[in-house]
Amino acid sequence: MKLRTVGYFLRQAAISTRRNGWMSLASAATVAIALFVLGAFLLVIMNTNYIAQELESSIEIAVYLEVDTPREKSFNLKDEIARLPQVAEVVLVTKEEALDQLSKRWGDNKDLLAAVGGINPLPDYFRVKAVNPSQVPELAQLMAGMDLVEKVDYGEGAVTRLFSLLAWIRMVGLVTMALVSLAAIFLIAITVRLTVFARRREIAIAKWVGASDWFVRWPFFLEGVLLGLAGALVSMLALYGAYTLLVDSVTQIVPFLPVVTDIQLVSKMLFWLLAAGVTVGAVGSAVSVHRFLRA
Amino acid sequence: MIQMFNVSKAYGDSAYALKDISLSIEKGEFVFLVGPSGAGKSTFLKLLFREELPTRGQIMVSGRSILRLKKSEVCLLRRNMGVVFQDFRLLPDRTAFENVAFAMEVLECSGKEIAQRVPQILQLVGLEGKEKAFPHQLSGGEQQRVAIARAIVNNPRILVADEPTGNLDPETSWQIMQLINDIHKRGTTVVVATHNRQIVNSMRKRVIALENGRLARDERKGGYRLEA
Repeated sequence: MKLRTVGYFLRQAAISTRRNGWMSLASAATVAIALFVLGAFLLVIMNTNYIAQELESSIEIAVYLEVDTPREKSFNLKDEIARLPQVAEVVLVTKEEALDQLSKRWGDNKDLLAAVGGINPLPDYFRVKAVNPSQVPELAQLMAGMDLVEKVDYGEGAVTRLFSLLAWIRMVGLVTMALVSLAAIFLIAITVRLTVFARRREIAIAKWVGASDWFVRWPFFLEGVLLGLAGALVSMLALYGAYTLLVDSVTQIVPFLPVVTDIQLVSKMLFWLLAAGVTVGAVGSAVSVHRFLRA
Repeated sequence: MIQMFNVSKAYGDSAYALKDISLSIEKGEFVFLVGPSGAGKSTFLKLLFREELPTRGQIMVSGRSILRLKKSEVCLLRRNMGVVFQDFRLLPDRTAFENVAFAMEVLECSGKEIAQRVPQILQLVGLEGKEKAFPHQLSGGEQQRVAIARAIVNNPRILVADEPTGNLDPETSWQIMQLINDIHKRGTTVVVATHNRQIVNSMRKRVIALENGRLARDERKGGYRLEA
């Protein structure tokens, strides 16, 4: 294909975009809305993933031993747990240390031991970190079945609830996005179809004088792509503006909440939005071009 | 140049527009296709142009079966074939120059080629000075000249005209037919479907007559009717 032909196609596409002003606007706006929804959901997912990661890496399993476990057996058990493949780290907290920590937490009360009758009621316990946070429930169950283990605690429920929340957000995001994308494709198809109709004489003449099918099709194809591109650019600007504003206020109001501010990650997402816009435009016009421009 | 072998075209189940046509048109011939309305003239031309496919039979153009052309090859056939219609079929929002240039644009000719060739062709069809006129500013005869210019600007080997004088007064019809004859003399094979018996009778060209979709008569230097 020759360069001036590309210019000719672009000119034709621009002309018909102008002629179908309102339809063009409607389809570009639908693409923009679809991609905005998509982008917003992606940002929510990215952030919940990020928060989940932060939480997951801080999850520890507390393994409490029976109160009268001899110290050397505690050490043996610690080695045994450390040998498990799922375990990243084991720390033994002896009952003395535990009491110490407890009294520190309750203030400078040196009579705590006396207050409980001179006998330390606390057990030895391990703080265990898993290699992979998703293995935590399984690992906890495994250790609960061991000899001398009284009780295992890891804030069960919170982790699994977080995971199911994530999956749910992804589902809702995907479904919404698919629906709005379909609407965008549909509108672009109608817009391109209007152009095809408006220019049917020209198309017929072009074919009589021997224009190739692709020569006839390209301008319409480009029109759809231009509409998709325009929608994508609008949604990118809107998302970028909204997200930076949101991140600014979130970091001021709740500074401890982790949010994704990595500009590379965000711009990568914006790039994918652009690609999605172009794809939606291309698919939409391909539908019309295919149906109405058969040779 | 053009051969048809036992060509039939049916629309629907039984209504035959053409039945069992076999003929050959040589390179450089001028052929009139005559017959009453509904005799199959338009269908004949549509088959030549591969706007439609025959129900049975074979059609060869330049030694190639046009039935076996792939979709993407149809445009190549049409580049070798200029067409002119009764209703001109010009683009109303483009000037005479642009209408002719359009045929070159779709074949990806350069602006320089177009700027050179289009004025030459407009001069050939007798429209010098009318380059910037829009179709509605031109008479019927002039519009048909633009359409002829568009049909021949890419130097096709065959010119096909469907009732080219159907909308024109007798005087203008003569001029248009003279123009087509001039193009024929430059070496183009010409097929003209027409009702105009005076023109057919006086030009003494080969006449192919269709009646009810059948080949009724095919004679060199013929007239519109056998005893005309």
